[in-house]
Amino acid sequence: MVYLFDGSFEGALSAVYEMFYAKANPEKDMMCIRTLYQYDIFDQVVECHTSSEYAGKVTASIIETFGEEAFRRIGYAYLSEDEQFGTKLFRALKRAYRLGGNGLENFSDEAIMTLYKCYNAVARESHRMIGFIRFAELDKGIYYSQFEPTYDLLALVVPHFVDRLGDQLWVLHDTKRRKAAFYNKTDVHFSDLDPVEALYYSSREAQYQKMWQAYFEHIAIDERKDKRRHIHMMPKKYWQFLTEKNTK
Amino acid sequence: MDALKKLEILADAAKYDVSCSSSGSERKSVKGALGNAALPGICHSFAEDGRCISLLKILYTNKCLYDCAYCINRASNPDMQRAEFTPDEVVDLTISFYRRNYIEGLFLSSGVVRSPDYTMEQLLAVVKRLRERERFNGYIHLKGIPGADPKLIEQAGLYVDRMSINIELPTTKSLRLLAPEKNRNEMIAPMQMIKERIVENKSSIVRYKHTPAFVPAGQSTQLIVGATDEVDYKIIKISEALYNRMSLKRVYYSAYVPVGKNAIVSMNHTDALKREHRIYQADWLLRFYGFTADEILTKADPNLDMEMDPKCQWAVRNPHLFPMEVNKVSLLELLRVPGIGNVTARRIMAARRFGPVGFDALVKMGVVMKRAKYFVTCNGKYFGDIDLEPRKLRTLLIEPPKKGANQLKLFDLYPNVFNSGGGHSGLSI
Ligand code: SF4
Repeated sequence: MVYLFDGSFEGALSAVYEMFYAKANPEKDMMCIRTLYQYDIFDQVVECHTSSEYAGKVTASIIETFGEEAFRRIGYAYLSEDEQFGTKLFRALKRAYRLGGNGLENFSDEAIMTLYKCYNAVARESHRMIGFIRFAELDKGIYYSQFEPTYDLLALVVPHFVDRLGDQLWVLHDTKRRKAAFYNKTDVHFSDLDPVEALYYSSREAQYQKMWQAYFEHIAIDERKDKRRHIHMMPKKYWQFLTEKNTK
Repeated sequence: MDALKKLEILADAAKYDVSCSSSGSERKSVKGALGNAALPGICHSFAEDGRCISLLKILYTNKCLYDCAYCINRASNPDMQRAEFTPDEVVDLTISFYRRNYIEGLFLSSGVVRSPDYTMEQLLAVVKRLRERERFNGYIHLKGIPGADPKLIEQAGLYVDRMSINIELPTTKSLRLLAPEKNRNEMIAPMQMIKERIVENKSSIVRYKHTPAFVPAGQSTQLIVGATDEVDYKIIKISEALYNRMSLKRVYYSAYVPVGKNAIVSMNHTDALKREHRIYQADWLLRFYGFTADEILTKADPNLDMEMDPKCQWAVRNPHLFPMEVNKVSLLELLRVPGIGNVTARRIMAARRFGPVGFDALVKMGVVMKRAKYFVTCNGKYFGDIDLEPRKLRTLLIEPPKKGANQLKLFDLYPNVFNSGGGHSGLSI
């Protein structure tokens, strides 16, 4: 049986509700995103509707049984944009409810570990991004950052920057997903935003970029150069937006 | 000389300083002001030597009156280009880098220019302006200048997160030999003072809410390894004493790198790094795994085995404690099994509540079975397939030399600290 949902977080939770209700089989049954699903003549398909009532019930039950932290992790796992997220979620929950209480921490269980890995990948990249995000000062005193994380973590990193760069105007722009967070020294708002064609930098921006690049180059110890480790810790996929890796 | 040129010179001069960790302080942001300090520490970049860049690590100046033989900035080193910042230049760099999210904060050290007091005054001016004028709340790690008026060091302590006074050399004898202008007491006395002030400050924070924090992330120090002939046992014992008696947060070790001409010790570079690496692993056992120095090494067997990590060495010496049943032993015992780290031990403890943990589950939870299999049983089953005989064990556990041995992965083997909130905690050294 294949349960189809719309790809949203609420949709996945609603489908979980329906799957539990229908006593779906965790070994065989799957949850798939409607637009990605490739029809197979042998599949039996169930169309699930996104329902805030169902999603709310599942949320409440997860929080009540496993705690808020467990629910937060499920939210992170969703942001991994893993195509199999729905199936993984259902299988992990199915196992965890049998165990109760700390069920989602039973890492020796394959289904639970599989879901945990989605969470962990997002949590790791969020932590990484908090370091790797770079701002450049535009001519109107706005600090602008462009980045393209592997996972959809814009909303996860925003609170960190609200806290840290609370006295400056900034924009965090995920150009891969074409959306941005805008901060005006009091609130943040999110909105769709296409890649910006031309950016006008403040007069001193180039100077600070040059200094940072110089610092980056000079702080490395030549005798201990270790390209492999360098790339391992700071994978190439991030270089495009790292000021220090973009010297002309 | 413009700021860019100074930055190049003074970053070069600071790069051999190993401590760059920004963790350990949780400085809350203040509304309308700039910055905070995040507890797990954040790496903003990785230099081409693979090290984490977290702080803007620079010297205030590399001009120096002293002549410490192991130091690149020593007065007698003729090939050095010298530079000196002004306090405002350092402040501006810090703030501008911070606003662009290049750094977590500042790590400022200095050569001794004019006099220890004069130098300390400049450093004090930097941190004071950052905190008071710029309302900067990011992380600051400051080096205390040995020989400076303790009052200046104490004053600076009110503005910084971490302070360190470097011990540099393990014994008075080697200090006399290589850094004749410094004396042990000039290092120990301020350390003692900082320790006492931290304790005092903690209790007054409890009593009066608005007491400013004094060195909230604690103090650290640095030891140079391999410039003189101390054995590893001696070094680990000193570190243990510094942790226990001085309540230091970290001891950093730096393999002596011959700098410039008249290298004092001609040690093979790779060996020096390997030794530094092993000492870091031993230090890790002291801090996070509940080992004592005397368990790690003994007077009779005073040096770390370069071919095996210190936990394996300990296990090989204590075969009577193994194999341990992973489903029975305590967390502290699990932590003593080679191949099981902090994160995996906690996962095992969590999983055990749901029933016995088997061999495959251990693999999935991240246990390094290559090492652990000799030391554990799962539900009574043993997978090591050998008798626990020290000599045989040793041959099995020896790490094969890595390809391109001088590309030693200094940090690969450090276990990550278990961290529940924001994902993994990048270890920054
Ligand atoms: S006092 Fe410090 S900077 Fe000066 S030579 Fe000694 S170690 Fe180097």
